[in-house]
Amino acid sequence: MNPRQALLQKLSVAQFAAWELHMYLDTHPGDAEALARYRHYEAKTRRLTEEYESKYGPLTAGDAYGDARWEWVNSPWPWETTEGE
Amino acid sequence: MFQYEKRLQYPVKIKTPNPKLAKAIITQYGGPHGELGASIRYLSQRFSMPYAEVKGILTDIGTEELGHLEMVGTIVYQLTRNLTPQQIKEAGFDDYFVDHTTGVYPIAASGEAFSAATFSVTGDVIADLHEDLSAEQKARSTYDNILRLTDDPDVKDPIRFLRAREVVHFQRFGEALRLVQDRLNSKNFYAFNPAFDR
Repeated sequence: MNPRQALLQKLSVAQFAAWELHMYLDTHPGDAEALARYRHYEAKTRRLTEEYESKYGPLTAGDAYGDARWEWVNSPWPWETTEGE
Repeated sequence: MFQYEKRLQYPVKIKTPNPKLAKAIITQYGGPHGELGASIRYLSQRFSMPYAEVKGILTDIGTEELGHLEMVGTIVYQLTRNLTPQQIKEAGFDDYFVDHTTGVYPIAASGEAFSAATFSVTGDVIADLHEDLSAEQKARSTYDNILRLTDDPDVKDPIRFLRAREVVHFQRFGEALRLVQDRLNSKNFYAFNPAFDR
């Protein structure tokens, strides 16, 4: 796994934890402990997303940086990545 | 509205092409228990859903299914990369190939194109939620069958992830059904539709 993939995995793990809590909260909206854990993973996801995007390009088009070129079409498409890339 | 995020929910990295297996797995792209039907079913059912929590769960599971559709499409795409005409014929992939080359098209393993007739939107809260519970079990069962058809760890890993998600969604829909039943008027013994019969 190269450094880009490793960081993406870290981000995906945090996002997945936030997502699981998000769906749990849909049917348990009064669970304050789950809500606190959701906020923790959501903040972690945001931090890792910023780190990833600053190094490897945008994950959402609105986060595309750079003034000379539209970075959205340059960063890799997820179905195309393979091991060792 | 929806916004695209340029990553898979769970990584798919398949090294060895296998067009025969792709023809089976594509059923979760456009088949009767597939991710496309799942997503459209939940995202459509939510409009007539009277309860906030259940609107939330239908929206969120329907959205996650779109991510699963992308994962299944990726599996099919990666299983059909760099094929020679001989491999295509030997694997029995020629009948798919003749219409779609190696493009990803929503069909069932049997070859039937995607149909909205594979799911229901009844506008009846109880009927819809029971359909959703059933749909999650049918999708889980299809992933179990896919796991019986391959030994490739690159394929089994993301399929196991998708299978586990069906189990979690079943759990959430079960909670949603309980929330709905708790709210039915105590005189509504026969669970008439709270979205319509007020």
